[in-house]
Amino acid sequence: MEGLTAALMAIALAGLGLWTLIRRRNAIWKLLGLNVASGGSILFLVAVAHRPEARPPILGMGPGPAADPLPQALVLTAIVIHFATLALSLVYVIFLTERRHTQDVPRLERPRRRR
Amino acid sequence: MRWAAAVAVLAVMGLLALATLGLFPRGPIPEWEGPTLAYGARNAVAAIVLGSRLWDTLMEVLVYAMAMLGVRMGMRTLPELASSRPQVAETPLLLKAADILIGVVLVFSLYLAASGHLGPGGGFPAGAILGSGLLLLALAKGADRLAEELYEPTLEGLEYGAVAVLVALGAATLLLGVRGQIPLVAANLFIGLEVAIGAWVVLHRFVSHRGEI
Repeated sequence: MEGLTAALMAIALAGLGLWTLIRRRNAIWKLLGLNVASGGSILFLVAVAHRPEARPPILGMGPGPAADPLPQALVLTAIVIHFATLALSLVYVIFLTERRHTQDVPRLERPRRRR
Repeated sequence: MRWAAAVAVLAVMGLLALATLGLFPRGPIPEWEGPTLAYGARNAVAAIVLGSRLWDTLMEVLVYAMAMLGVRMGMRTLPELASSRPQVAETPLLLKAADILIGVVLVFSLYLAASGHLGPGGGFPAGAILGSGLLLLALAKGADRLAEELYEPTLEGLEYGAVAVLVALGAATLLLGVRGQIPLVAANLFIGLEVAIGAWVVLHRFVSHRGEI
């Protein structure tokens, strides 16, 4: 049942990140919320790979049933892509701050006043 | 508005929880020892990442390289900070410790990359560890001086060379059906190189254009 508990905690984490993503007005806070939600998705995949009393899916590593290797491979992909996209979106936040002098998303969405 | 958002988030969480309840308990996994050995690996995750799902990994490396290219080109248009030398007084202790530790970090990441198909490890963790080692050096020396030592155009060439080698390895594995340990080790090493250089690009660009280490 550890897998189910971890999966429910992962869903709670994703909900927390989603709440931050929706309710915060600051762009960097939104990115942090997205990162927390992606952490939830990673934890969910790890929980799906879990089996009771499992060992790592490596040949010759202890007795017992092995954990599912496929979700673990997906986690490997997810972590790297999250890192890369977070870095890229932070660059865009720097652009926005440089041009508009604010990180407040409702204010950024309003059309710019003409000079 | 706040209540609507709360209800929406809770509804999504409830639906996900309901779907998860149907997912557990998980069934037994199919037989994996044979296919893993057929790819020349002992670590099933390595066999999946560098074998049966190699397209996935290739596209992931491409996405990573493109994101790092975006960071590099985006930061090029922003003004550079005057100096990103460390503000704290340099102590020989920090410099010496970093010089000693970087060797250990380098050897460990090489070990993880080279033995990733046999045990825990692989190219991505190895690259992340090497990137953290570079962060340690940047903390000790200042990112500017490290960037001078690590000559940027060579790194750029190495990064795109690593991507090209990975695509060639993927073609050899997927189209020509090459199997065995050598492609796995080579792919892990080049993935580690790619990830470490990308991490260094992010670190260096963010430091030299915004803020200090």
